[in-house]
Order: sequence, then structure tokens, then C-alpha cells
Amino acid sequence: MLPAAGEPAAGDSWGMLACLCTVLWHLPAVPALNRTGDPGPGPSIQKTYDLTRYLEHQLRSLAGTYLNYLGPPFNEPDFNPPRLGAETLPRATVNLDVWRSLNDKLRLTQNYEAYSHLLCYLRGLNRQAATAELRRSLAHFCTSLQGLLGSIAGVMAALGYPLPQPLPGTEPTWAPGPAHSDFLQKMDDFWLLKELQTWLWRSAKDFNRLKKKMQTPAAAVTLHLEAHGF
Amino acid sequence: MRSRVDDAKIPEPRFWSNWSSWKEADAQKSLGRDPLFLFPKDKLVEEGSNVTICYMSRNQQDNISCYLEGQQIHGEQLDSNVSAFKLNKVSFIRKTGTNIFCKVDQKDVIKGIVLFVSKVLEEPKDFSCETQDFKTLTCTWDPGTDTSLPKRSSQSYTLFESFSGKKILCEHKNSCNWQVDSDSQEMYNFTLVAENALGNRSVSVLFSLTHRVHPKTPYNLFLKNVSGTKATVTWKVHPIGNYSTLLCQLDLLGEGNVIQQHNVSIKENGEYLLSELEPDTEYMARVRCADANHFWKWSGSISQKFITAEAAPSEALDVWRNVKSVSGRPTVTLFWKPLSKLHANGKILSYNVTVENLDRLSGLEVHSVPATANGTELTLDQDSYQIHVTALNSAGPSPASVIVVSGDPGNEEVEEERVNGTEDGFSVSWKPQSGKAIGYVVEWCDHPQDLPCDLQWKNLSSNTTSTVISSGAFRPGVRYNFRIYEISTERMAYLLEKKAGYLKELAPSDNPQVVVSNLTSHSFTLSWKDYSTDSQPGFIQGYYVYLRSKAEKECHPGFKKATLPDKSACCQHRIDNPEQKTFVMENLQPESVYEFLVTPYTSAGSGPLDAFTKVTTPDEYSHILIRIILPMIVCVLLIMITCYLKSQWMKEKCYPDIPDPYKSNVLSLIKSKENPHLTIMNVSDCVPDAIEVIHKPEGSKIQFLGASKSLTETEFTKPAYLYLLPAEKNYSGPGPCICFENLTYNEAAADSGSCGHFPVTPEALPGQPGPLTSPENLLKALEKNYMNSLGETAAGEASLNYVSQLASQMSGDKDSLPANPPEPVLCSEYKMQMAIPLGLASPPPAENSGLSSTTPLDQSEHYR
Repeated sequence: MLPAAGEPAAGDSWGMLACLCTVLWHLPAVPALNRTGDPGPGPSIQKTYDLTRYLEHQLRSLAGTYLNYLGPPFNEPDFNPPRLGAETLPRATVNLDVWRSLNDKLRLTQNYEAYSHLLCYLRGLNRQAATAELRRSLAHFCTSLQGLLGSIAGVMAALGYPLPQPLPGTEPTWAPGPAHSDFLQKMDDFWLLKELQTWLWRSAKDFNRLKKKMQTPAAAVTLHLEAHGF
Repeated sequence: MRSRVDDAKIPEPRFWSNWSSWKEADAQKSLGRDPLFLFPKDKLVEEGSNVTICYMSRNQQDNISCYLEGQQIHGEQLDSNVSAFKLNKVSFIRKTGTNIFCKVDQKDVIKGIVLFVSKVLEEPKDFSCETQDFKTLTCTWDPGTDTSLPKRSSQSYTLFESFSGKKILCEHKNSCNWQVDSDSQEMYNFTLVAENALGNRSVSVLFSLTHRVHPKTPYNLFLKNVSGTKATVTWKVHPIGNYSTLLCQLDLLGEGNVIQQHNVSIKENGEYLLSELEPDTEYMARVRCADANHFWKWSGSISQKFITAEAAPSEALDVWRNVKSVSGRPTVTLFWKPLSKLHANGKILSYNVTVENLDRLSGLEVHSVPATANGTELTLDQDSYQIHVTALNSAGPSPASVIVVSGDPGNEEVEEERVNGTEDGFSVSWKPQSGKAIGYVVEWCDHPQDLPCDLQWKNLSSNTTSTVISSGAFRPGVRYNFRIYEISTERMAYLLEKKAGYLKELAPSDNPQVVVSNLTSHSFTLSWKDYSTDSQPGFIQGYYVYLRSKAEKECHPGFKKATLPDKSACCQHRIDNPEQKTFVMENLQPESVYEFLVTPYTSAGSGPLDAFTKVTTPDEYSHILIRIILPMIVCVLLIMITCYLKSQWMKEKCYPDIPDPYKSNVLSLIKSKENPHLTIMNVSDCVPDAIEVIHKPEGSKIQFLGASKSLTETEFTKPAYLYLLPAEKNYSGPGPCICFENLTYNEAAADSGSCGHFPVTPEALPGQPGPLTSPENLLKALEKNYMNSLGETAAGEASLNYVSQLASQMSGDKDSLPANPPEPVLCSEYKMQMAIPLGLASPPPAENSGLSSTTPLDQSEHYR
């Protein structure tokens, strides 16, 4: 049973999670996960898939707390504002055919790049949070997301794909400019959480597809990607 | 627009400048390219402010709806493109602000603002400054509500001193340290300004530095030379400047309360001698100091606990005694009450009991009793003794408590009086006797029903004649006995009075065990002598005797009708004397069932009316019958026993086997009175002239056989012999006759042994044609005849039965029969002939018996 995100003083779950993240972070270095090893990338893909499902669950709790913190209308279920200031966020939604046509390397690379950016934004969110409890929850989630990033890197290494190198000058930053109003900032926070949620859904599909492909390479997998409102 | 100086350095009043001139702005131009503009952008206001929000739209056809915290709001349209919303007295909702947004319907256009509402900045409260060392002034205050918001810092505090013109920004929200430069400045005027983005609040204080001295907590508090009643306290203080004097307050606390308080003025070192302390008591010394010249605040306190030394117990023990006789020797049990902590002055180690004989010169006898004991037992003799009891602790003994006891218990025969108990206890009073008493002692037991009974006593002065004895142990329904002693000048106790009483009398809980005696048809006696009236839950005033009977409806005299709790009626008799423990129930009906109950009563009521006892009176004549029949039975038994014991004598006297005519009294009477020449007829004179033949049916013989005894078991060593002479056909004159030895004849004997006249079958006696002339022959004949009679006696066979008895002169002793047939002698007379029924005269022969003659049986049975 995994702990609910944002639960204060959950020492055990913290320790368990730190252990899990450490393991995942070091997955690329584990010889058994290298292509040369017998087990192949299967187990690490499975673990990555499990981690995405866990983060999905964890984010549901965190998003509820944070949107309440922002106040109405951001915590209303049918609030669906336009992406005004969130253009820099990596989009998870993609055309189904395009998604199907993605090869493993590209699929993994997009995942890796998206979470790298999202993690950076999320850390900025954490710095801004006014309450200690919320900061703890965000820091907890950031640690988990860092673990997912490491896990994806491990899968890519296992499959022999190089990690994408960030281009100079494109380092994502979270710095609201003076022209960025507080309302727009709240909109950005809203979209960050929403996009994160969508990415976790997509990653679950991605890794499920990858997992099946590793087991039965010829098997055809159809993906039905749905975007649910918060 | 107008302006005003807002600086603490500038003294009030501060004036506003004039308003600037109006300037117009084109709203449409300010929109830029956006289709919708919302104003003001991210406004910060104080809670309770009124805020106006307006929006401008580029296109008039756009339908715009606005929301405040998710709720749609409707504003006032100022222009075709401009609308305004007025928010009155906005309240703080959350730190992330209040969200207001407008959107253009059917378009993906949304504009919003966040209205940050800050809490009201409060004026600092309790602002004050003080110094502990004349080097640093510490100012403290209560900041009140925090007004911080995200991305907007909380209020800041600035301390400004007007005399020196110095200003510092405080690091903390509630305190600030100000460095005192030198001794030059005496007065300080501080202004504390609290400031945030929306405004400021300030508070000022003016004071002299020497009036705001708050000394540091004293240190090194020690106690020296602690004795039983005194102790010296020393302590140190941190110096304040060069000339300052401190006033220190020294508190002495005992059990949490301040017992003594002393003020001591010191520079640096303090010392004080505490006196009037109690020995062996824990105290706490506590010291705090303040500026002696200008009191501002007490410093913190320092305290130290200490225990005073022990001292000898200050008071004599309260001792009492109980004298009783054990195995004839007076035994004195001494009791004493432990000394209170106030008087013990330390831990009691032991008690010393010194016994001094007052009648004889002998050495003192000293007993040491452990501290845990509250008494001791001494076995003395009949002399008088003076006993000293002291309590010892490490510092010495207590004053001695003296008591004199004597082997003679004194006058114990004091009549007991009753005393009434109340809620407060027992009010006991007494009459002084000697007038020389030095005091009185009232003694009682807290638990009189237990052993030991927890003896208690109360000392009273000589001028007291009454007291109230109260104890938490007193319970209702328990009899408490109080003994009042007078203490003589010799310190000897004499019993003065006895009192007994109940705190509250209760009804008896049990009824006495009643014994019924003297039960007759008309009365019976009830008695309950074992019933103790002293151990009851109240003074027994008497008894109720209840009687009920189904036969009698009316009550007997002395009884009255009463109704029991179960509504049944009965008769009640009251006995007013508690010592009357018997009652005779009279005038009862014979053969009737009566139920009775005896229950005692106290002032609180009677005992339980539940267990009636049933008594049934006997019939009227039974006792008479018993009086007659019983003596009769006794008499008959006595006669029978006598007869049994004297049976031989009786037999010889009354019915001898062979009556001796010469011994007959009748004969002597006849001889003497009527015919002195009368003689007794000899047997030889008698000639038998008739034989009685009895026809015996077979049935009776069978019956006889069935009831007979085995002749083998029967004594047959001395059979009776019938000496028969053959009866000649022509014999007619007197001559030798027949001599009968037998007393009786039964059928069997008659069959075989009759005098020559019995029918002898040829088969039975084939070789015996003549008469039986010897016993052997006779026995044989008898045997054979008996065998025949068993098997062959035919019905209708005639039997010959002699019923005559002859007494021979020679046959006084029947056991010494002659071996030869005696010479025929003259028959004199027949006497006491009798025929015995066959079934009774002799037992029948057993099946294996070879003999049929039962003549000896008669003898044997007779002597048995």
C-alpha cells in the first residue's frame, strides 16, 4: 500500500520511496539491465510502468491540495481555461497516429524530456508554496518524479539509446516575469499539474506498449488516449 | 494625486500636499490587442477595505461574465465597454488571494486578477524596555497578527530613539536590543514603528534607564550550618553598575507555603540566618532580587531545598494501659499514640519502657520497644509499679510519660449505665469521686466485635466532667462500652463509671433459638436462655411471643391480635423484661398444631417475623395411659425376670417333676387336722384297671413329624425307662404292678413304650416275643418302632396312650434308675396325670434320627 501524497511525517513511506528512487536512479548501472544481460529491459520497463501508476495516484492527491490552495475557480472540476502562459510546458496530448508511429527511442526520449522539464517547473512551484505542509508534499512528489526520470533513463540505457542532451539556452526555468500576473501564474500552476497528469497517463500507455512489445514484438497494440478533466 | 511625508523622524502633525491636476486616459488604448482587460491588476488591500474592479472589452457584442471566487458577480456598466464591480469590506480568505476572473462567452478568452487581502496591521502591544547590566537595553512587545502574504513580506519593526536620533531595524518581530553607549544618557524616548506594504503603526515609551533595571537571576544559593532550628542562607548576584544596590527577597517555604519572608539589601553577596525552624523538617529557601532604589521588576528566582537536623522529641507520649490477669498473674498492656511529626522532631528509633516497683526496693527494669510498635505487654505481680515511657530519636529521649499500675484491678463492680449516641458521637459525663483526680481517661474500643478491639482512650483534665467521644469508626447497631477512669495524684487509674450505648439502635437482626419443653396437651414451655442481650444491635427491651393456630381464632388471655407483614393474623404477647427468657404457653387445645415465634425488640423495632416453629399438642389421655401402662410393663418384666432366675425353686415348689406326697403340705394339713392316722397309699396297693386307647389320625402324626426336632441333637443319655410287666389275662389280684418313670407320654413313646399293652407288630419285633426287660431291649424296640412309625404307620391304626404317672418310692432321683427291673411294689396312688398334645410335648424326630422316644425331651426342655 503506497502512502497518500502530502501525508505529513510519513517517515516510513519516505524511506521506502527514497530507497526506491535510489534503486531506480542506479538502474542504468546495473549490469543485469544492460542489453548484454539475459533478462533484457523487460523488468526495468515493468518497474517504470509501475512507477508511473504510482505517481499518477500520488499526483491526484497533491493536485487536489494544491488547487484548493489556489482557490476557486482552479479547484472546480469543470474549469478548463486556455493555455495562455503555459506554452513552454511540454504537451502530452498528441495525435493518435503520430503516437502510434513513434519508435521506441523517440517515445522514450519524449518522455524523458517532458519529465525533465516538468520536474524543473514543479521545483519552482515548491519554492513558491506558502504553507509548510504543501512544500513537504511537493518535495515528496519531486523526489518521486526524479525517480521516474531515472527509471526512464535506465530503460533507455538498457535499450542502448543515448540520453537527450539539453540544448544550451533551452534550460527550462521557472521565473515569473514582472509582466506575469498572479492570476496567470495560477493558471500556469494549474496547467503544470494538468499536463503532468496527462503525461503520467501517456507514459503508462507508452510503457505498457513497450512492455508488450518486448514480450511479443509482433503484437499490435492499440492505444486509446483519453484526456480527462481534473 | 497628493503626497505626505511619512517618517518617524518628522514629528506630527504631517500634512498632505495639494491634489495634482486631473489627467485623462483612453481605456481602449490601454487595452492593446487584448479583447478583455481587467483592472486593477493583482491589488493588495487591507482587510475591510472597499475595492472597485472594472473591466473593459474591445468588442461591445461580447457577452462577458465575471466571477468572484467561482461565484458570478454583476457589476455596473460605466460605459459601453467598461463595467465596474464594487466590493465592500473585503475579507481575508486565503494567503494566495481572492480570485476574480471574467471570460468572454463562446470565446477562449479569460482574464483574471488576484486580490490580495492582508490582515490589518496592529499597533505593537506591551512595548517596554529594560536593562540587566546597563550595557544593553532590551525592548519587547507583542506584535499581534502576522500580515505576511506570498511574495509579500510581513510587517517589519523599527526602533527609533528620539534623544540620540538613532534608529535600528529590529531583527525579531517581538524584541529588539539597543546598545547603551555610555553613562551619559539617562533618559530614553523610544518609538517602535511596525510597517508593511499597506501602512505603519507606531508606539512610544519614555523612561529613565535607572528605573528600568531588571537584575539577573541570583546564583550560588547555599545553606550552611543547618541545625534543628536554624540555618544560614548565602547567595550571589550579578553586579549592576558600580553603585547599584539590590534588594533581595528571601522566602522560606514549607510544604509549598511561604512561612517566612525576609528582605536583604546587598551589593554582590547575600547572607541571612534563618531561625525558628522546626527540627527534621524539609524547607525550601528561595531568593529573588530587584533594584533597591527604583523597583522595576523582580529577577528570576533561585531556590534550594534543605532539611533541618533532628532534635529530641518535645512532648511526652500519650500512654494508656489495660490490666488483665493471665494465668493468675497481672499482665499490663501498655498502649501509646505515636508522636506527631511536630513533636517527634525526627525519626523515632525506639521506645524505652522503665518499670519501677513501688512496693519493694528492686532495680529498674528497662524494656526497649521497636519504633514500629505502639505498645508492649508486661507481666507483673501483685505489687504496684510505676512505668515510665519515653520515645527516642537520634537527638535524645522525649519527656517521660508516667503511669502507675497495680496488680489489684480495683473496683470493677461498677454498674453500667446507658449513654445515647448522636451524630456527633457519644456525650459521656461522670461524677467526680475523690476530688483529688489529676485527670480523667475515657476508654473504649473502636471495633468492639473484633479482636483486638482497637482500644482508644481520651485524656481529660481534672476539671472536666463530660466530653463527647467521636470516632470515624463508630457504626450504627454496634454496642460501644465506655469506661471512665479517674487518674489519682499517684498516677493510678481507678474505674469510675461504665457506660454503654449505641450510635443508633437498630432492630434485632436475628431471633433467639427457642427450645420447647414440657409439652402437654394443654401447654408447653418456650425458653431461650442462650440468647445474649449484650451483643445485639440495640438494647433489648423485651420480647414478643407470637402464636398462631388454625384451630383457634381467638387469642389467649395476655395475647392480643396482631397482623404479620404477610397480612396473616396471629396473637402477640409482649414480655417487657429482657431477662425473662422463658414463657409458658397455656390453655392450648389437645391434638392441635400451634406455630410460635419469639422475637426480641429494641427501641428501633423487633426482629424478623419469618420463621415460625410448629408444635403439635398431644391428646389428653395419652399421658395417663403412659402413667399406668408403663409401670405395669415394668412390673410384669420384673416378675418374669424373677421367675426366670428362680425357676428351679419355683418348679420344685410348684410343679416338681415327681411330686413327693410326703412333702405335700396338703397332706400335713390333712394329717394334723382331720385324720392323724391317714397314710399314703403305696403303689403296690394299686392295680391298673383300665387302659385308655386314643385313636390318632395319621394327619396329626405327619404334622408332628414336620415340626419335630432332631433327636440326635437332643440329650438322650438318660432316657426314661418304662418298666413293664406283662399283664396276665387272669391276673386280677393285687400283685406286682407297673412302675412309671415318665412324666408324659407322647404318641411315639406310647406306640413303642407303653406298658406291655402297645400293639407290637410281628415285623417290628420279630425276635422279641416277651416283654422288654432291659433298657437295651427297650431302646431297640423304640428305635424300630419309630422307624416303622415313620414309614408304615397306617391311617386308622390304634395308638395306646398311657396317661398315668406313678411315683415310686425308690425313684426320687430319676437319673439313677436301676439296671434291673425293680421288684413289683404296691401302687399307692396316681398323681398329676396329664396328656400332652403331640405337637407340643415333644419335637418330631429328624429324618435321620434313629430314636422315637421323646420322654427326655420333656425334661430337657423343662430345664432349658
